[in-house]
Formats: sequence, structure tokens, C-alpha cells
Amino acid sequence: MIECPSCGRKHRPGTLFCSECGVYLPTGGPLRTEPLPEKELPISRANPWASEPVEEAEEITLVPLSVEVISTGRQIQLPPTPEVHVGRLDAAHGIFPDLDLTVDGGLESGVSRHHCKIHQRGSTYLVEDVGSANGTFLGGQRLTPYLPHVLKNGDELQLGRVKLQVIIEQEE
Amino acid sequence: MKIDVAKDYYAILGISQSATDEEVKHAYRALARRYHPDSRSEGAPTTLFHEVQAAYSILNDPSSRRAYDRQRADMGLSEDALFSWEILSSRDQLCARHEEQVLYLLMNVQPSVDAQSKRLPLNLCLVIDCSTSMQGVRLEHVKRAAHQIIDELYDDDALSVVVFSDRARVVLPSQLGINRVQAKPKISAIQASGGTEILQGVQVGLEELEKRHSDQLTSHLILLTDGQTYGDDEECIAEARRAGARRIGITAMGIGDDWNDVLLDEMATQSGGVSSYIASPGQVRTLLQQRVRGLGSVFAQGLTLKLSCVEDVWVESVFRTSPYLERLALTDEVVALGALQTDVPLTLVLEMGVGQKQAGEHRLLQCELASDIPALGRRGDKLRRDVLCVFSPTEPPPQPAPTSILRALSKVALYRMQERAWDALGGGDAKTATHQLEMVATRLFDLGEVQLARAAMLEAGRISKGVTPTPKGRKELKYGTRSLIIASWSKSYD
Repeated sequence: MIECPSCGRKHRPGTLFCSECGVYLPTGGPLRTEPLPEKELPISRANPWASEPVEEAEEITLVPLSVEVISTGRQIQLPPTPEVHVGRLDAAHGIFPDLDLTVDGGLESGVSRHHCKIHQRGSTYLVEDVGSANGTFLGGQRLTPYLPHVLKNGDELQLGRVKLQVIIEQEE
Repeated sequence: MKIDVAKDYYAILGISQSATDEEVKHAYRALARRYHPDSRSEGAPTTLFHEVQAAYSILNDPSSRRAYDRQRADMGLSEDALFSWEILSSRDQLCARHEEQVLYLLMNVQPSVDAQSKRLPLNLCLVIDCSTSMQGVRLEHVKRAAHQIIDELYDDDALSVVVFSDRARVVLPSQLGINRVQAKPKISAIQASGGTEILQGVQVGLEELEKRHSDQLTSHLILLTDGQTYGDDEECIAEARRAGARRIGITAMGIGDDWNDVLLDEMATQSGGVSSYIASPGQVRTLLQQRVRGLGSVFAQGLTLKLSCVEDVWVESVFRTSPYLERLALTDEVVALGALQTDVPLTLVLEMGVGQKQAGEHRLLQCELASDIPALGRRGDKLRRDVLCVFSPTEPPPQPAPTSILRALSKVALYRMQERAWDALGGGDAKTATHQLEMVATRLFDLGEVQLARAAMLEAGRISKGVTPTPKGRKELKYGTRSLIIASWSKSYD
């Protein structure tokens, strides 16, 4: 039996929502992101204008994008939607990111529930921090929130303390 | 190898009937590796390996594959992509050590791309309450909404309009390819007076629908009322049940706060329709328009889902979460799903109880989806799917359930919480009802639904003081939680 962390009601294994209080059982308790100490994060800021301009591609070629969580080796292929939300699942608040970093220790490592977005423009991918508590870093540089940056194959993307390797599989 | 037509070889290999030879080979190789007796742990069943081999030997040989396809088509089991059917489960591995556990299944049924243009013409009847209480703004909005419906109907749709108070009267007899210029003034002339006798209106409305009713049409009655009917509740429900058996659906729309939600819900459920709450007259037009558009895009009717569970596996509840949230009844292994629209997927959430099983892969249940698609001249089409699950000897690592399941379930969970509150209150347990409503309020605040949360708090407060809940609050919560849209990325939380 599993116990609801909020109201204590007992449920059979596999139950997802508490029938008594509606809490999402696999995570239960508070899901607020705590700010990490400054010294644990890279300091330098990316120059917002250094990012290359995005070429308007005439035909849209879908190149699948995957990321690998460096600490756990978990590889995830992102869904082929124009926008992919990255963060941490909080079912009770209706937050369902496309890429959920809960299993990679997202909470302890300072990943926000709404952390960043990955857009697709033509055949280019862009990453945009959406005002996360601990920031999004690309190649060790902190991105200005809400300013998209180009993502390339092999880039190291860091959300809070979680590091992701970007894999863009080129065809041929 | 002898063909066993009752077995779904395609499902065993996890491929569609249109799979190429290459895909057949690929699927076989992957599964053979997984199930091969040498590569499996002790005690794992070898039957699955044999099934995979049997399926491959039939499907890999073009002549036996053709023979198999033909035999299946004769039995009405063929799958030539009229709709797609997806089944997701909350976990792909269960632990063999638990005596009893829960597994959720999400089913998504959608017409295939080719089928999307095939709508059925409408045979629609509007049954309008014109009792004294409808006088003024309410009736004016209903009239305007009816005018809009007239403008939007296609030439092959039929419409009739019935009004009722103490008596019912046909304002517009059933008309195919409606004459807009003649019909509109007749609706404008409707006057309000008298009481509310729903049965009268429903009976006359159904008579109008019967004039044209056939399985090539979507026949539907839309009831718009704002009041309580007296003494004819049982007969109204019986009438709705009869209509449902004839595949005529009833949409019951209650305007304002004084109508009987239990009665309208029951009429909708019995006939395979919907009930909805129109809080202010200004919403009549939008809600009616949405409903008629939905009905006008019906593609298949009378869908049923048969769930045959193996021993020690059972279905605890079935909810539809799209196009609208509703609890569905399971009778003799069969769930009536109603109609499938061309533009909105039909989504179901099943809660399954699973008893203890030995480690290894097991089939939990077989699902059979049956449908009639009159527009394409098809009746009794059947699709079958098996739900398999691996039981691991130790607790498998926690894997988050697919987001689509969580999203659907979070809506269901909230709806059930408020359902339980009203049930407790009905049973005289005010304490539980209060507590449950407070929980509902907390969840609604979490979701940012401040207005609904306040309504829940208010009703909880009233019940705790021994006062009956307000009819408005009760309806707001019941229909509000039902139509709640839980966005994936809406409010800002760190």
C-alpha cells in the first residue's frame, strides 16, 4: 500500500491521484523550486546578440532532436511539435511539460516546473529560458530569460544543475 | 502452419494490417529476441514466443497472409484504417509481488484522415421551454440562438422546432433543406406563458424526429429548459431510454439555476446524449452552436467497447474525457461509447484492478471496439487489441506515466471528488461532504480556477452550518469541473 503524503489515506500501488484530496501521489509533497546558491552555477552571461541570426528556411525539414541527461545517461527524443516545454511535472497544478526532468533529480537540482522552451524554426532549434529560478545555461553561459538562442548538435545545455547533451541527428 | 482466424496476428506483432513485408520481419526479429526462451529469465512463459512465431509464419508468407486477411474480413474483423485506435498504459511494468495494484489505460479513437470528410446529415429537433419563467431575456437569447442554427445547417440537414409549457406545440414541422425565410419568423413569434411539463415537449419532439429517423442520419433532440417539471420525471427518463434504444440522442441544456440537474443528467445518459449548464442567457448561443456543430460532425454511431479481462483483472471505472467528461457504465463487459465525431478524438480513461501474477509477460485483457459507419455502408466493424503487461519479480524503477494519461486523470480525479461530496450529502453525511468540498476547493485554487474554488468554499461553508447548498453552486461545481480545461503550460510556477 502507498500512503498519500498529504492526507494519509492508503492506496493500492500504481494509484496516481489520491481519491480523498486529489494530490498526485508519485511526487506528493511541495514541488517549489528552491534557488540554488550562486556559487554552484556558472556566472558568465551569454551575449544576447552573439547568437547567429536564424535563416528563414524555405522548406521545413524535420530533424529529430534528442537530449541525453549526462548524470543518468537517460536519452529522450523530443516530440516533433513546434514548441517543446521543458520542466518538472506538477500534476496538481496542471503543469505537464513535454520533457519532464523529475526522474533526473530535477527538484533537488533546481529545475523549475516551467524552465525553458525549445522552438523549431525551419530546420533550426532555438532554446529560450522562461524565467526559471536557477537559469538555463548554454555552453556554460547563462541565457537572458525570454531571449531565444540557437541550439547546435553537441551543445551542452544546463538547467539549474542538470546537464543535458544536445543531439541533433543529421540525415544522410 | 494452420491459420487461426480468431487470433490477431497483427496485434501479436504490434503492427498494422497495412504493414510492409519489411515491417513484419523487423517486428518479428525484435519480439523474437525479447521472448526467446534462452534470453528470458527463469519461469517466464514461452507461450508468447510461440505466438510470435505463429504470427510470423502466417504473415511472412504472402499467400497465407492474403488468406488470413480474407477470412478476417469475412468475420468483420478487418482493419482498413477507418479509424485509428491507440491504447496507452500508465506503466509498462508491474511488480509481481503486489497482491493487488492499479493500472490505468488511456484509449484514443480517431477517424482516419480519409474518413474525416464523411459526416452524417442531421435530423435535429429543438424543444424549447416557453413557460412564464423563460419570458424576457432568456427566451430572446434562445430565439437568437435558434436563428443562428438555422443559418448554419446544411441543405441535407433536417430541422424541427417544438415549444412546450403546460402543452406542447410544433412550431416548425420537420423540414429538410430548411427554408430560412419562412422558418425564422415562426421562431420569432414564440411567446412565453404557463408551466413546465418537460414530458409533453420531449414526446412531441421525438415524434417529429421519428418522421425522418434512419441510420443514415444523426437524429438528435435538444431540450432547452429553465425549470422543474412536476410528477413526470420517471416518464421523462423512460422516454429518453426508449429514444436511446432507437439511437436518438437527447442533449439537455439547463438555463439558470432552478432546473433539476439529476433529471436532465439522467435523460442525457439514458439516451447517449449530454447535459449542460447555461449559467447566463448570454451563453445560450455559443453553447448551442458548439453542440450542433459537434452533432453535425458525427461520423460513426453506436460505438461499443467490449472488455474481456483475464482472471484476477477487473475494470473499476470507465470515464470518457473527450469530447466531454462523463462516467460511462459497464454492463456485461460492454461500454456504450456513443458517437464518434470527425473533428474531436474520443478519449477514455480506464481504471483497472490487477491481482497478483507470476513474473513474466501476461495478457491482461482483450478490447474489442465495434462500430457502425452508415455513411460508408459499414455495419458491425470490429477492431481488437490485446493489453499485455510485464510483471517483474522486483519493484521496477519508477517511471512517470505518460503525460496524456496524467492530464486526463487529473480531470477525472477532480470530478470524482466533487461527485463524492454530493453523494455524501445525499446520504446525510454533512461532515464528509464539507471536508470533500474543501479538498475540491484546494485543488481548484491550485489549478488557478479561483471562481470555481470560491464556489466550492461557499458551499462547504453552508453545508458545515447545516444549510442546504445553493442550486447555483451545486451546478457550477458539477458542470464546471466537468468542462474544466487543464492547460499544459498556463500559469507561472517555479
